[in-house]
Amino acid sequence: MFSFDPYSPAIDADPFPFYKTLRDEAPCFWSPEAQTWVLSRYADIVSAGQDWQTYSSAKGNLMTELPGRAGATLGTTDPPRHDRLRGLIQHAFMKRNLESLAGPIRDIAATAAAELAGRRQFDFIADFSSKFTVRVLFAALGLPLGDEMTVREKAVLMVQSDPHTRAKGPEHIAAYSWMTDYAAGVIAERRARPLNDLISHFSMAEIDGDRLDEREVLLTTTTLIMAGIESLGGFMSMFALNLADHADARRDVVADAALLQEAVEESLRFNTSAQRFRRCLQKDVELHGQQMRAGDFVCLAYGSGNRDERQFPDPDRYDISRKPRGHLGFGGGVHACLGTAIARLSVKVAFDEFHKVVPDYRRVQEHLPWMPSSTFRSPTRLELAVQ
Amino acid sequence: MARITYIEPSGRSVPVDVPDGWSLMLGATSNGVDGIVGECGGSCACATCHCYVDEAHAVTLPPPGESELSMLEAVAAERRPNSRLACQLKASAALDGLVLTLPECQE
Repeated sequence: MFSFDPYSPAIDADPFPFYKTLRDEAPCFWSPEAQTWVLSRYADIVSAGQDWQTYSSAKGNLMTELPGRAGATLGTTDPPRHDRLRGLIQHAFMKRNLESLAGPIRDIAATAAAELAGRRQFDFIADFSSKFTVRVLFAALGLPLGDEMTVREKAVLMVQSDPHTRAKGPEHIAAYSWMTDYAAGVIAERRARPLNDLISHFSMAEIDGDRLDEREVLLTTTTLIMAGIESLGGFMSMFALNLADHADARRDVVADAALLQEAVEESLRFNTSAQRFRRCLQKDVELHGQQMRAGDFVCLAYGSGNRDERQFPDPDRYDISRKPRGHLGFGGGVHACLGTAIARLSVKVAFDEFHKVVPDYRRVQEHLPWMPSSTFRSPTRLELAVQ
Repeated sequence: MARITYIEPSGRSVPVDVPDGWSLMLGATSNGVDGIVGECGGSCACATCHCYVDEAHAVTLPPPGESELSMLEAVAAERRPNSRLACQLKASAALDGLVLTLPECQE
């Protein structure tokens, strides 16, 4: 009997064979373990993602939601509130407004890469990507350095869930509480001494003459920190893994750094770290012979849509010349990732600098330790050997 | 379902049946149409799905909202009275037969 349990370590390690069965045999599947429907075909995920009136985010978007978060962040509100909140933040993340960060991001990458010089083997995550992502986030948000590695540790922990209880464990909730306290401190500091920066503007912004709800300011700031560190770091480790495993692609991007752009897009399709998000049905929907009811949760398995042979020919092949337009690596529709431009910029610059110091490498571990998460997928440690 | 005809910058005409509810940006990118990028994924945040709507439909479409108007100020090619962002146009029977001309550049 086929089952799809997004809390199982087997799914953390390799969801792709399960996704194929879902797409071919049960494209609208009820997972009793997760108490959610699972949509796995590209076209169904796109349709649901476009239809926020039916597939609402207001009850949360993470597969295992954090307490008190739903309804107070960009990802967990529906239009029109969502659009107004997003309008307050979006301009800071638009490509043309990121130019001033390009230089600092390159300096951060070069500094982190230089520390790898002479090493024969290292953990890509502990020794490179985690240092890079947290410093980039701190530069983007203008946060004071000092406790950045603690911030990173909490960001990674708060997105995880306990595989046995199928819920957030006490350590995950504690990390989330720590992060909201940290965000509250930053907000209080900006209100006391405003700067011309994102958090200053956002923490004092109004919508239709009303100040934002305090919970919105706090949890949106918390989510920005979480996404900036965990989502960017998770994707970087998947990208490093792909380049380590695919020697031809690695040689191509090392020989011509301009190809990094294509390789990033293919990695976003092939095995993006943001594998699954959740919506809640606002009305009954019948799909592929299944009757879903208003109030049911629905998982949009982006990672499966990205491997759907109905959309992407030969989907299990990693091919950096593919140009996989329309991929779901950043989600889509009104909730498409806010950080697409800064993520693309950061990853390209990071690997350009990384490859100047470490141009040839391979994976050391045969089996990787995967983060226990029903939403995200990335290794917790990635040992690379320099060749 | 709406039959949308995309005119690529090369002049090639590409007809696509776009499912109801899908944005015309996705209808293009998921079918390999050239001349459209959609870098932000459809959240009206990048102005790289700029298009020109045929004159007949330009007047019958719902007008652009505040966020679309603001992003239209950032398009790379010439902005015209019939300029729209394809991510903000949702396919429906009312759009059947619409012709979208894509500009020379998006970035």
